[in-house]
Amino acid sequence: MRNRNLWYWLFLAPALLALAVVVILPLAFGVYYSFTDWNGIKTPSFVGLEHYKALFAEEEFREALWFTTKFTVVSVFLINFFGISLALLVTQKFKTNNILRTIFFMPNLIGGLILGFIWQFIFTKVFASVGELIGVEALEGWLSTETTGFWAMAILMSWQMAGYIMVIYISFLEGVPQELLEAAEIDGANSFQRFYHVTFPLVMPAFTVSLFLTLSNSFKLYDQNLSLTGGGPYNSTQMVAMEIFKTAFVENAMAFAQAKAVIFFLIVAAISLTQVYINKKREVEM
Amino acid sequence: MKAKKLFPAVLSLGLLIGGGLAGCSSSDDKTSGEGGKDGDKVTVDIFQFKVEFKDQFEDIAKAYEEANKDVDINITTVGGGEDYGAALKSKFASGNEPTIYNVGGPQDVADWEDKLADLSDTAAAKAALSGTLEGVTKDDKVLGLPYNQEGYGFIYNKGIFEKAGIDPKSITSYSALEEAVKTLDSKKKDLGLTSVFALPAKETWVTGLHLSNVFLAPEFDQNVINAFESKEVTFEHGDAFKKVLDLQNKYSDQPTVSLDYAKQVEELFSTGKAAIIQQGNWVSGSIAGIDEELANSGVGILPIPVEGYKEDSIPVGVPMYWAVNSNKDEKEVAAAKEFLDWLYTSEEGKTAVIEDFKFIPAYEGYDAGKISDPLAKEIYEYSSAGKTLAWTFMGYPTGWGQEKLGINIQKYVSGEMTWDELVEESSKAWAEARK
Repeated sequence: MRNRNLWYWLFLAPALLALAVVVILPLAFGVYYSFTDWNGIKTPSFVGLEHYKALFAEEEFREALWFTTKFTVVSVFLINFFGISLALLVTQKFKTNNILRTIFFMPNLIGGLILGFIWQFIFTKVFASVGELIGVEALEGWLSTETTGFWAMAILMSWQMAGYIMVIYISFLEGVPQELLEAAEIDGANSFQRFYHVTFPLVMPAFTVSLFLTLSNSFKLYDQNLSLTGGGPYNSTQMVAMEIFKTAFVENAMAFAQAKAVIFFLIVAAISLTQVYINKKREVEM
Repeated sequence: MKAKKLFPAVLSLGLLIGGGLAGCSSSDDKTSGEGGKDGDKVTVDIFQFKVEFKDQFEDIAKAYEEANKDVDINITTVGGGEDYGAALKSKFASGNEPTIYNVGGPQDVADWEDKLADLSDTAAAKAALSGTLEGVTKDDKVLGLPYNQEGYGFIYNKGIFEKAGIDPKSITSYSALEEAVKTLDSKKKDLGLTSVFALPAKETWVTGLHLSNVFLAPEFDQNVINAFESKEVTFEHGDAFKKVLDLQNKYSDQPTVSLDYAKQVEELFSTGKAAIIQQGNWVSGSIAGIDEELANSGVGILPIPVEGYKEDSIPVGVPMYWAVNSNKDEKEVAAAKEFLDWLYTSEEGKTAVIEDFKFIPAYEGYDAGKISDPLAKEIYEYSSAGKTLAWTFMGYPTGWGQEKLGINIQKYVSGEMTWDELVEESSKAWAEARK
């Protein structure tokens, strides 16, 4: 027993070491810095909880947090809706299934920054031209108001992530035993009932994973936000990650930004863990 | 038996840790080797922000290395205002400190003070034009050397003005400018314009820093240190500010909040779709990229009029300063100073500064006739006629110009904020930052 323990720790050591060096230590340092007045250059001195007190009073941070929350709710819904729809589509018996899967997955292979620039072109140039052509003024000047900026972000995010989430759903959908579905069919269940009462509970673990991924990804979104809207107009589409970056590097308040980051981390962790806990309870054992 | 089992485990562990550490140690070797062991060679690491002259600068550094075999110059360029600041901090935090780096103004000098060498004894500091060292002098110590001078104003398309029958020389006041804009607007179709102006409200540095500077500079007696030390901003010439902003916004391609630099300069101005843009001499390269001829002979610059103060002047200032890292050993600091002196005061250096870098020199002893860029030339003329306004935006509180005022201007032009609210909010943010 003792011998196994030694082996256990020996093999775990490299991973633990790596984890400590690249995750735990920086995190600890980050928390420490959030209690100081560090500006990135000078030696810091201790200021206690000052930053945390100032944090929630700051309008910009609250606005960014609110925008991020709205965005997350909408995009988690959209991504999972489209993800599962696509998955259901490509698990039917079509000949083009494999090509379709590749096509749907492809947006995910493009880097966030580039994707943002591509869609910026679409929203500002293509939308404007189409709008002009068919005489719909609402299509012109996208990215120049808060509402259209918000939806632009949501569209971009769904377009990118739906294919990825689709893959997760596919793997679970294909694992659903055919005999259960057949049995249900013999019992007279229609296709909706078969999906809702048989397939749905069985793919519940896929929801746990997908919701977790979309939730945390939407919350932490940075590069798409930067390249698509840059937070504009007037910072109204600025998400939390970007707000933190600006506090740190534009306003030169490293420690204050660090405090925001700690709070942000706690919020994301709390929401994600709650979500996983709730979802886990709904999963059924086969 | 046991040993046999243990061996692969230890080996794999060793490989993992060893591999990880090797990555770090190799870079350590490099920095410690820099001390000049090999043949007393001094390495001068330069970390600079100006992307536009990167290649030319590297060429001249090579020429310097040829002439001075004991100096090795490494140039790293990271461009674009805020990115440079972030990159510089990471560079210092990584322990791989550069010898020569850039500082922007009083705030940077205050932040980096511990790492700035005194440059008062350099020939370049003595040759610097009066006023150019204002922002980087502290307790009689010169802590930075100016790159060059730059100026901005309303850049206009000469061909379009001629066609519309407007004499640009007559535009020396707000009313004349307004008149000209209205004339251009009425002939838009004939001139092939989509709009008279292109106001890039998305670029908060154009509105929040450059435009605002013109109207706030009088308040601080055109002195950057006054701005840096001021506890408040009162928008004394706020009405004049509003007029010029409104004029640009009214006659600009819409929506201005999503109009960026590329669209302003390349898509609208360089193709002749906009007649006037608020920019500086740095746009020459961008324009030349689209229409070489326009850049070489078709553009001129007009003043931004401050009604009730100076209506015929152009803001001219120093965009960035060279600083030498005082943490480095004496030899390296001396080599760095020598290089900067050579760059700005030797004949070879001077030629490069004017002809290759296409700079407007910020030092004495240059032959201004050699300036080839028309915008640079005009700005130099304004400068020698004394028709200038200082760049006081370098003394704004950190982030205030772009993040506060620039954002408020975006709100104002999209109707989310009134002008009075803008003045009130922005003044409050200034006072807050200077508490």
